[in-house]
Amino acid sequence: MNGPKIYCILPLFGGIPITQTAVSSFVVMVCLCVAGILLGRNLQKRPSRRQVLVEKGVSMLYGMVEDTMGKRNAYWTPYIGALFLSSICGSYIGMTGIFRSATADLSTTITWALMTSFLCWGCSIRANGFLGWLKGFTEPIVVMTPMNLVSEVAQPLSMAFRHFGNIAGGSVLTSLVYSALATLSALLLGLVGKSVIVSLVVLAIGILLLVNGLRAKKMARKIFGIVFLATGLLALLGLSGVPYLEVGIPGILSLYFDVFSGGVQALVFSLLTMVYVGNACPPPEEA
Amino acid sequence: MADLFESFVGINPWTALFTFCNMLITFAVLRHFLFKPVKQMIDDRQQEIDQMYADASAAKQKAADLEAEYQQHLQSIKAEQDTMLREATARAQKREEEIVNAARTEAQALRTAAEAEMAQERKKAVNDLKNEIGGIAVEIASKVVEREINKADHQALIDEFIRNVGDAS
Repeated sequence: MNGPKIYCILPLFGGIPITQTAVSSFVVMVCLCVAGILLGRNLQKRPSRRQVLVEKGVSMLYGMVEDTMGKRNAYWTPYIGALFLSSICGSYIGMTGIFRSATADLSTTITWALMTSFLCWGCSIRANGFLGWLKGFTEPIVVMTPMNLVSEVAQPLSMAFRHFGNIAGGSVLTSLVYSALATLSALLLGLVGKSVIVSLVVLAIGILLLVNGLRAKKMARKIFGIVFLATGLLALLGLSGVPYLEVGIPGILSLYFDVFSGGVQALVFSLLTMVYVGNACPPPEEA
Repeated sequence: MADLFESFVGINPWTALFTFCNMLITFAVLRHFLFKPVKQMIDDRQQEIDQMYADASAAKQKAADLEAEYQQHLQSIKAEQDTMLREATARAQKREEEIVNAARTEAQALRTAAEAEMAQERKKAVNDLKNEIGGIAVEIASKVVEREINKADHQALIDEFIRNVGDAS
């Protein structure tokens, strides 16, 4: 399994590699910016249908941020929103088949995780001063200092690897399933295609199952009928190289690994960012 | 040239830098063009709606106050009307009594006067009758006697006789 492909290396500063990740991240940025500008235009007091949807989404984001970080931190919403949208689009762009998921590269996720960490530190320093921030590592007792330091380092690493691992693992699994299905179909066709009689029997079973399934309106019988039918037909024609089992099954897997996992990871990443930054921005002192 | 690949789990600082810049640009653009104006719009609308509700409730309060005031006004007018009506009725009753009383008194007076007059008339008639009867008697007597007797003596005689007759009748 390879990492992102390097399209070209710009001959600057000792060679800047332009990778698939860089390209898809750029495409995501352009798409988001264009969409944002288009959606944020022409706002009116009496909203159009488009504006209602946009407002719904924006207020949902604001609600989420206010719930997690408190009302005082609502001004973080644009950053959280940009992070969430970049993450989810960076994951989904892999489904186009042209680009590789930007989030399936550790460089992307570690950058975002480090940004979160730096924001936390910045907030802490702003709230407690530089010395106060350093003193925070020795709390609750001095002995805890090494653990606090480790957790401070582990936090962005775990965030980065979680997001990267989910998306990259999903794509690895999907490609594994593809090749496994291709092998399986080649094997099956080779077995069935050895004799014409077996092919004909399989074809007949397929037709029977399909007809029965159509009569009884049973989905499983219809599907198996079609599979048997295709197997028999392809075996009869001697086309043993057609990976026909790749139709359908990877789509269902992709629904989980790309759509669901991408959404959940984007949500998790932005939620964690909200929690960490929200903790670093303590509520104002009670007067 | 064969395709170059990066390692599967690796960090490319240039890609990281690009990602960082892209993130910043996305953030800035979305904030400036999407989040800020939309939030502003939502807040403005919320404020307007709140204002409208406040105005509406103020107007409602005012209307209720006005209604109460009118109700009170109406009540007082009604009370006044009642008093006036009662007074007028009382006055009219009094006046009626006065008129009736006056009429009664007047009628009484008239009747008394009439009765007095009647009595007088009657007395006068009786006297006249007496005189006439006396005259007639004297005449009859003179005719009977065919001579003039002392008229005055006769007159006294007849008067006595008539008085006796009057008493007897």
